[in-house]
Amino acid sequence: MDTTLLVQALVSGVLAAGLYALVSVGLALAIGVIGIVNFAHGEFFMVGAFLAYQLFVTFGIDPVWSLFIVAPALFALGGVIYTSTIRFVLKAPELNQMLLTFGIGIILQNLALLIWGGDPRTIAGISYRGIGYQIGGVSIGLVPLASFVISLVLVLGLYWMLSSTPLGRAMRAVAQNRTGAALVGLEVNRVYLVAFALSALLAGIGGVMIAVIQSPTPVVGFAFTLKAFAIVVVAGLGNVRGILFAALFVAVAESLVATMVPNGDTLRNAVFFAIIFAVLIRRSWRTV
Amino acid sequence: MSADARVRRVAGTAAATRVPWDLVGLVVLAIAVAFMPDLLKAFFGRASVSYLSIATNALSLSILALSWDILARTGQLSLAHAAFYGAGAYTTALLVKHASLPLWVGIPLGGVAAVIFALLLGAVTLRLRGIYFAIATLSAAEVLKAVVHHLPTPIAGGNAGLNVPALFRPEFIAGQMERWEVAFLRNEAYFYVYGVVLLATVLASILVQRSRFKHAFTAIRTNEEVAGVMGIRPARAKLLAFVLSAVFVGMLGAVEAHRVGSVLPEQSFSVATTVLALVTPIFGGLYTTLGPIVGALGLSSVQETLRRTFSDGYLIGYGVVLVLSILFMPRGVVGLMNGLMRRRAKPAAGAPERTGEEDRP
Repeated sequence: MDTTLLVQALVSGVLAAGLYALVSVGLALAIGVIGIVNFAHGEFFMVGAFLAYQLFVTFGIDPVWSLFIVAPALFALGGVIYTSTIRFVLKAPELNQMLLTFGIGIILQNLALLIWGGDPRTIAGISYRGIGYQIGGVSIGLVPLASFVISLVLVLGLYWMLSSTPLGRAMRAVAQNRTGAALVGLEVNRVYLVAFALSALLAGIGGVMIAVIQSPTPVVGFAFTLKAFAIVVVAGLGNVRGILFAALFVAVAESLVATMVPNGDTLRNAVFFAIIFAVLIRRSWRTV
Repeated sequence: MSADARVRRVAGTAAATRVPWDLVGLVVLAIAVAFMPDLLKAFFGRASVSYLSIATNALSLSILALSWDILARTGQLSLAHAAFYGAGAYTTALLVKHASLPLWVGIPLGGVAAVIFALLLGAVTLRLRGIYFAIATLSAAEVLKAVVHHLPTPIAGGNAGLNVPALFRPEFIAGQMERWEVAFLRNEAYFYVYGVVLLATVLASILVQRSRFKHAFTAIRTNEEVAGVMGIRPARAKLLAFVLSAVFVGMLGAVEAHRVGSVLPEQSFSVATTVLALVTPIFGGLYTTLGPIVGALGLSSVQETLRRTFSDGYLIGYGVVLVLSILFMPRGVVGLMNGLMRRRAKPAAGAPERTGEEDRP
């Protein structure tokens, strides 16, 4: 076995884990705090990516700067969607909530297809895209590295926010007991609104990064919804803190298989799902 | 007991005669299927070829949706129906390629293959609930897709899939008929096959609703532990639901493989199949025989109308319909109708208010 190849796969996996964690942590926030299983989550990610693309094409704004435009835009989009739809199904059956968010996802995805078409879009000609470092035969791209660092900072920032700020405490209180939180004077609806908008914002930032790392199409969102679900489930529903480790586990496994198994690149998704399936089944039969 | 409850519910407004509405509906459906092609031909002439395809798609969606609903009645929200469908499609395709059997054999065997997969999946997921169950079934379906995709190319065709011959090849006889009539004959033959599968699915659903399994399913959906204490064997009931839910979808997959002419990993195991399977019953009304069929007919017409009105991006309208129906019609079309009928009748004191529609998960 080629050691360099192995290390390379490990490094790629770890770097990818950052972005996965960033997208998944938003989904976990929506599930944990609001109790909404958001099937449109990946579409926020996609909208972020294509906003960054359009800002670059129309105004020539570098994706690094468009982060600061996309983030508030997605926060607003999340807020609008929460206020206009999600708010009304908070107490509806889980299935209806899923279907509602699904419908929202279909709308967003097809709007994007209408606007941008189905071809991959590349943000071409940014200087730092090709930069990479070689460390003992292992190459590390600047962009994946930066996306890893930004993601990690944001995820850790979210953890800090949840544990140490009044807003975070409010979110945790609402997640634990909606009625109790309302009784002690928290405005539950506003906390939900902020949590949902924040979840969209995190996904949108992830989207800006994928627009630089890859050349996304408007259907990239659903794939990321599924991946985020996988990670959220491995971490345990509503467990925001476990996301980082779950993302690391899943991303490294995915990367290892893609590198080590012949023809493995197309097996990536299968690995993803096989892990989830095994984890869930094992967990369900473990405690007798 | 079950028949009583149903009669009271359906005929709650009229005089409480014991009309078996479910069987009446089955007969009406059978008659509608039997005469639909001729009606379309009489009304639309040449255009009836495409109308018949649309009607066939509606039947296909009905089979899928009703099958999904049967499993959902036990509280198991499956995201694996694409796998049942794909298992059926690939079974018949592989049989055609590697065994010289009559084409028709592939269809029941497609159902069998789907049942085998469903039993395996159902057995390992017995302990999973809610969203965990949903994600596990989705994962299993995706893994099966990848496995089929990666079977050696000489066996299953890999990325390029396999060709599947048509079941029906009406001959064109010059002078006796026009070209479009040949296409019509072909579509008509498929329409009837789909019709038979749908009628079988409806019959299975009605039999479940009339038996004690209806109550077993409802009890398991509401609270599995309590159901167990009451003497229901949840594992048995859940597996039965899995079998009934998979068999017709497997057959559907097989028939559709012949109609389309090929099987491909991405197409036969498409997530879209799974999505349609769950969206349709929710739109129509859950845990009934009527709801998924109403949903399938409604959504097919909505989608077709949208597609003809806005050629591009018509799916946006589809999404809007979904969102609006959840916001304003959370119990589906059938739930809305029941509500309207009940309101008009203003039940006398003591009339059964709870109809079993309320206990959604």
